[in-house]
Amino acid sequence: MSIKIALAGNPNSGKTTLFNALTGSNQFVGNWPGVTVEKKEGRLKNHRDVMIADLPGIYSLSPYTLEEVVARNYLTTEKPDAILNIVDGTNLERNLYLTTQLTELGIPMVVAVNMMDVVQKSGDKIFIDRLSKELGCPVVEISALKGTGVAEAAEQAVRLARAGVPMVPQHSFSGSVEHAIAHIEEAAHGKVEGGRQRWFAVKLFERDAKVREQLGLPEPLLAHIEEDIQSCEAEMDDDAESIITNERYLYIASIIRDCCSKKSQGKLSLSDRIDRVVTNRFLALPIFAAVMFVVYYVSVSTVGAWVTDWTNDVLFGEIIPPAIESFLVSVGTAGWLQSLILDGIVAGVGAVLGFVPMMLVLFAFLAFLEACGYMARIAFIMDRIFRKFGLSGKSFIPMLIGTGCGVPGIMASRTIENDRDRKMTIITTTFIPCGAKLPIIALIAGALFGGAWWVAPSAYFVGIAAIVTSGILLKKTRLFAGDPAPFVMELPAYHWPTVSNVLRSMWERGWSFIRKAGTIILLSTVFIWFTSNFGVVDGRLGMVEDLGDGFLSVIGSAIAPLFAPLGWGSWQASVAAITGLVAKENVVGTFGVLYGFTQVAEDGAEYWGTLAASFTPLAAYSFLVFNLLCAPCFAAIGAIRREMNSAGWTFIAIGYQTAFAYAVSLCIYQLGSLFTGGGFGIGTVAAILLAAVFLYLLLRPYQEESVPAPRSSVRARA
Amino acid sequence: MVPLTMAKPGEEATIKRIGGKTEIRQFLESLGFVTGSAVTVIAENGGSVIVSVKDSRVAVSREMANKILI
Repeated sequence: MSIKIALAGNPNSGKTTLFNALTGSNQFVGNWPGVTVEKKEGRLKNHRDVMIADLPGIYSLSPYTLEEVVARNYLTTEKPDAILNIVDGTNLERNLYLTTQLTELGIPMVVAVNMMDVVQKSGDKIFIDRLSKELGCPVVEISALKGTGVAEAAEQAVRLARAGVPMVPQHSFSGSVEHAIAHIEEAAHGKVEGGRQRWFAVKLFERDAKVREQLGLPEPLLAHIEEDIQSCEAEMDDDAESIITNERYLYIASIIRDCCSKKSQGKLSLSDRIDRVVTNRFLALPIFAAVMFVVYYVSVSTVGAWVTDWTNDVLFGEIIPPAIESFLVSVGTAGWLQSLILDGIVAGVGAVLGFVPMMLVLFAFLAFLEACGYMARIAFIMDRIFRKFGLSGKSFIPMLIGTGCGVPGIMASRTIENDRDRKMTIITTTFIPCGAKLPIIALIAGALFGGAWWVAPSAYFVGIAAIVTSGILLKKTRLFAGDPAPFVMELPAYHWPTVSNVLRSMWERGWSFIRKAGTIILLSTVFIWFTSNFGVVDGRLGMVEDLGDGFLSVIGSAIAPLFAPLGWGSWQASVAAITGLVAKENVVGTFGVLYGFTQVAEDGAEYWGTLAASFTPLAAYSFLVFNLLCAPCFAAIGAIRREMNSAGWTFIAIGYQTAFAYAVSLCIYQLGSLFTGGGFGIGTVAAILLAAVFLYLLLRPYQEESVPAPRSSVRARA
Repeated sequence: MVPLTMAKPGEEATIKRIGGKTEIRQFLESLGFVTGSAVTVIAENGGSVIVSVKDSRVAVSREMANKILI
């Protein structure tokens, strides 16, 4: 019979590190609360019949954020055979708050005190035996990072699960609370399953709405319970929730005195001293700007560019195409197949693969920022600014992760408590250029702007400006009116990330790009090659001499007028923008096939020249902006659909993004050509009108919902 | 009683009362902010604070810090 063991504990207490150690899997471990937003399952090493579930971190069983709901639901409805409660030894008091709640579930439990190496180093002591006696369950010392004690903790949990001994909570509250709870237990007797009476009684005492609904107790019984609660509240002069919370902390304080001794108290830790500097009123933003500048400068302009130039010019320019060509010629391949392989696959997939090194560098930086603990500080610093645009500082983490890939970025929005804040974050996250948009930026910068240094940073600036204006604009609509939830977030201590952890994350995210290049992009380029090289000429279906006669050209020309006002009405550009919906790297791959065919065999093998001839710099910039801001790739649209959990909201998100992108690109091209001496036409009028509407939406007063509304209505919507 | 935003960085204080909406108060309680617990402001940035409470560091924005009275 297989056994399920759940890893439960506070955010950032080391669950994922322990999970990796136990199952031998390779999940990325970040140093900010909320890295794990979904439950992950794996098999215990050397025990094929034991499943381990890694749950998102929770502070209590009264869920506040969406990820906490995932954890609570799993623990209360799926009923694992045992709980392995991981507790941060450096912060025992707060961590035991959850432990006291978990013991009430009646599920066999082992407590693993993590970070024992840090505790011992600081000179503190935790008396495991006493703690075990007080809690009434086995307690094991571990260091998940170093792997000590990990196997023993798992063995204990397996043993308890096999024995099936239910956990009996040892703690008790003060007299009058226990009295009320005993009454409730008695009243609800027979209505709740055995072994968990106490959990239900405490939850009923706290008036937990979900538990009330789940039990469906008859009205007179609830009224009877309410009497008990009210008399206790009157006696303690507090509300039921707070009474329980206080009682839990009092109990913890009473046992903690006997269970540990502390040396290091009252001193400012190194982390605190760093925080004094990096979150300082004057230094915070300059430091943040400097960090981001270094990250993008190094990954886009220096290291990334060197490697990418080499892969593009030498590897996919001078080495691979001629080699394949001579091979194909030597085995006597048919002309069309040669063209498919060289002009289609090598040109398309190669154009994308060339940018992988650049992405790897960026991913390594992002993983470092996540793993060292600075990410959580950025959220704190940005909160004051983001609040002005109606977003919370927590929205910044999804956006920063979104610079790597939009899909995990959108998923990271789950840590945002407020539903409106979360929806707004999901809609705006993909405005920030993701790793796959990097090739588009590099292509436009290289081909049209001679590799000018300002193009890449300006793309990020456009992304941030789009987020800011969208934040203000959306907040003023009825859909999103209301203040964002107050910012409260635990800040983990800084630490040096392990090299393997950073490399693991870099590789995992980079690999998904490489895999995409070998599957979806390969298929797309083959499709594009066929549809562009075949067509009906003189009433006969066949391969065309001029791509302008191909099917794709016909289709592209039909859509092209739609994009003509944006300055890039050529069929190639229109097709590229559309294929970008499949995956953003496709934009580059498509250009590779459509423009590259004549040149692949030539020296240098770049299609930059052809591209430069068919775009004006202004049109190219408008093309870039459209592709940065419009609907993201299918994978990200899927993530939006999952996180919004509604087709309507997904449609609103995609529609808004695309309309916004179209409007901005139109304004850039039309107003840009006006100022650079281009003519005044219908397009100019449309752009001016659009800009006026945009300014109106941006500057109009907030809707009435945002003025301090009656408390009750705010709560109802929250 | 003064709000947490007025606390002097580095000096330990005791929480007297926590206001605000029920859900956010419950969340603060689970993070260790309960009446009677000791808090120390570690860093301050325009009224938003990083505080040390029960051995952990928690960032609290100005609006919320104003509702925590010490």
